[in-house]
Amino acid sequence: MVLVLALGDLHVPHRAADLPPKFKSMLVPGKIQHVICTGNLCVKEVHDYLKTVCPDLHIALGEYDEETRYPETKTLTIGQFKLGVGHGHQVIPWGDLDSLAMLQRQLDVDILVTGHTHQFTAYKHEAGVVINPGSATGSYSSINYDVNPSFVLMDIDGLRVVVYVYELIDGEVKVDKIDFKKTTASST
Amino acid sequence: MNFCRYAALRRQLLIDPQVLKNGSCSPDVVMDNPLSQNPDSMWGRFFRNAELERMVDQDLTRLYPEHGSYFQTPGCQGMLRRILLLWCLRHPVYGYRQGMHELLAPLLYVLHIDLELLSEVRKVYEDHFTDIIDGFSFHENDWTHKFDFKKLPEYMEDCNGSESPVKINSLGELEPKIQTIVLLSDAYGTEGELGVVLSEKFLEHDAHCMFDALMNGTGGAVAMAEFFSPSPFGGSHTMFPPIIESSAALYHLLSIIDSSLHSHLVELGVEPQYFALRWLRVLFGREFALEDLLVIWDEIFAYENTKFNKPGTNDAESNVGVLNSSRGALIAAFAVSMILQLRSSLLATENATSCLQRLLNFPVDVDLLKLLAKAKSLQALAVEAINSTPLLILPRLHGRRNAGFTKAHIPSLDLTSPRTTLNMAHESYWEERWRVLHMEEERKQGSAASAEKQVPNRKKGWSERVRLRLSRTKCDPFRSKATFRKKNETDEGRKNIGGDVDFGHKIPAEVEEQDVKDTNFSTSETRCSSGCPGNEENSSNISDLSTPVRGTNDYVNMSGRSSVASNFSAEENDTDSVNFEPLQANPESSPLPVSELDPDDDTLNSTQNYHSVIKQAAGIKERKLLSDKFQLFWKFGRNINEGTSDRAAVSEDAIACDSGSDCNNVAGSSIVNGCNSTSGISKAEIIDQNLIFSLSDLGQSMLENIQVIESVFQQDPDQMGSLENCKNAIVGEGHITAMAALEELRKISNLLSEM
Repeated sequence: MVLVLALGDLHVPHRAADLPPKFKSMLVPGKIQHVICTGNLCVKEVHDYLKTVCPDLHIALGEYDEETRYPETKTLTIGQFKLGVGHGHQVIPWGDLDSLAMLQRQLDVDILVTGHTHQFTAYKHEAGVVINPGSATGSYSSINYDVNPSFVLMDIDGLRVVVYVYELIDGEVKVDKIDFKKTTASST
Repeated sequence: MNFCRYAALRRQLLIDPQVLKNGSCSPDVVMDNPLSQNPDSMWGRFFRNAELERMVDQDLTRLYPEHGSYFQTPGCQGMLRRILLLWCLRHPVYGYRQGMHELLAPLLYVLHIDLELLSEVRKVYEDHFTDIIDGFSFHENDWTHKFDFKKLPEYMEDCNGSESPVKINSLGELEPKIQTIVLLSDAYGTEGELGVVLSEKFLEHDAHCMFDALMNGTGGAVAMAEFFSPSPFGGSHTMFPPIIESSAALYHLLSIIDSSLHSHLVELGVEPQYFALRWLRVLFGREFALEDLLVIWDEIFAYENTKFNKPGTNDAESNVGVLNSSRGALIAAFAVSMILQLRSSLLATENATSCLQRLLNFPVDVDLLKLLAKAKSLQALAVEAINSTPLLILPRLHGRRNAGFTKAHIPSLDLTSPRTTLNMAHESYWEERWRVLHMEEERKQGSAASAEKQVPNRKKGWSERVRLRLSRTKCDPFRSKATFRKKNETDEGRKNIGGDVDFGHKIPAEVEEQDVKDTNFSTSETRCSSGCPGNEENSSNISDLSTPVRGTNDYVNMSGRSSVASNFSAEENDTDSVNFEPLQANPESSPLPVSELDPDDDTLNSTQNYHSVIKQAAGIKERKLLSDKFQLFWKFGRNINEGTSDRAAVSEDAIACDSGSDCNNVAGSSIVNGCNSTSGISKAEIIDQNLIFSLSDLGQSMLENIQVIESVFQQDPDQMGSLENCKNAIVGEGHITAMAALEELRKISNLLSEM
């Protein structure tokens, strides 16, 4: 029962001031074991805040990040799953499933988490899952102006991952759930 | 049946939300997501469970490290964790409290040991199978007849090296058990009949049932869960958690059995719950090694746990709920016997911290059987005690009933009632002692040592008392009279209602009229400051009169009380304010001025107690204090007499006298003055003669009590400080007499407050 938080593209303070208060109230320290951030935080304060939510923090470098020492991509293993993080502006066309799948095969991960489009998506294909948590602050992107704040919480349990999507629509938090099961146990 | 229930519960409550989700589709994801703030959501429950589990784990890792070979194994730890979690989830009221694991651990241990024993026995059988000449044609598995009893104990001791202490201890009980094991292990069933009772598969279930029973009390009184509950017990009428009540009951029992130790602890401020909390919550689990603990628990659980039904106790006087059974009584008795075990070291220490250290680090090398025997002997007493534990003993809530003077006197507010009752029990003894002292004194002086009057004369004595005061402060009666008149003019600003002039008149008149008064008067005269030769004859006159009066405690108490009150007012007087303080005179204050006062008694050929008294402080100081005392007494009288004008008059007399005395350096004259002024104003009032007389008697007895105390303190001149110090420092006779005197003072104040 490992809870992994995936979020990104906050663009604080340039495009947004902070996370929505409803999101902040939900992100209580102690519940979440890992945090994966796709990038574009952009300032150190956001980094510190995420650290308070969970000390195990993995960040990929986004184009607007002020801390340039984050890696461009990162992989980690949680339970039976291999996860990969990247920002996504390197993958063109932005948000294209096939290109992202290429990146996934490159990284050899079961779950790939990328951002940049500020739009939540979750694709499943035969090799694994591609998740885009969207923008946690609802900041505008270069291709989209009207953005709903959203983030993703993954519940990894054995060979099964349940993806909870939290979206702030019209001031209300909407939650959705997606189930993924891994077909075979990964051999590490 | 219990097994099934436990298994079902386990499945239900400890299972992952994930797996549950497989079965049912959770309807509302918004509510049931992991970050949901909703407390009802599955995830909320999961997180709460996780929290609970973390707490439990914290305790489990530290459980019985010395027996780590069993308790720290993951299997055992897992079982403990599951059982505890399950119980706590079933009883969210209590949650998980530290200590529950220590209650469960021995239970599990016993079960485990029994199982081990069973398997050992089986092994033994198999071992010796070939050795035994099988004359019977029984089935192989029927080892009833083939069992070699003789060899078993040795074998057990050999191979169970690590747990041999347990075996040795419980060997006595195992002997018949082995028989039973053998007899019950019949041919049928995988584990035989005994398998139903003692099965490895169901070890956890059994432990859970036992733990549940222990915590719930199975309908009896002692439910261990109550000790963990922060809220008041259902049936109790106090607002205190049961653990506090039980601790108070412990102290109550201790006060009955060993009052000196109890009072010692109470004085030091060692509240029972400091150590009793740990003792009771884990049933002495932390005080003894595991093997000893098992023996103790055997004894405790052997006693019935059915609640005592004390008929007609539906009011606030109901007994301590959670210990209200013979088992509870044994627990209390055992705790008290433990305290008694440490008696000598506790009495030796004057420090609350070291007392607690002693209590919390119970010695390891203690004779357990002796303790148990003592506990059993005290158990009957404990039953009574718990049945009769008044709620008054509980701190601060009900103490007010007897608060009054006792509060002031006893530093710890706990257990004032039993203390008082205890004092009452020994009253006669102290009375006797005091009487003896006074007898000696009188014999030596040839004058009245004390003027104890009967209670009915109480009222009469009051005026006597006032006169006494007057005479006390004066060096000689003539001078006092002179000052008496002189003071008449000097005292103005005081509110005087008392018939001061009458007083003055009365003083000589009363001396002639009534023997009682004469007694008082002369007695006071005898106590006068040095240089009162004229007193002696008077005192001789009344000495024999005073003797018959000796018997009454009340009078003595009252006199003591009034003196205390006067001392109290003495303090107040420094500000020249005529305020009627509550008569909670501190005993500390009373001895101080009184001790200064008594140096006047040079003329007394006092006993050894009084000798030191004579050589004391400066005259002015003592007179001032005297006047203070008198003022206090006046206030005291005033408070008592609020109801009636008569009484008010009388009290006003006293007050006026006091206030008058305050004005002047010469206490005697001031007192006289005060009296004059009061009398002047109170002319119109009718003074109840009886009241006056009785009050003066009171005053007299109070004075005498104070003198006793003073004498005690004089013996230790360095300890002129607080009563506390004195009480602690003075051991032996001085202490005893001081205590006696104090008790009487208290009684007096009590009586007077009732007036």
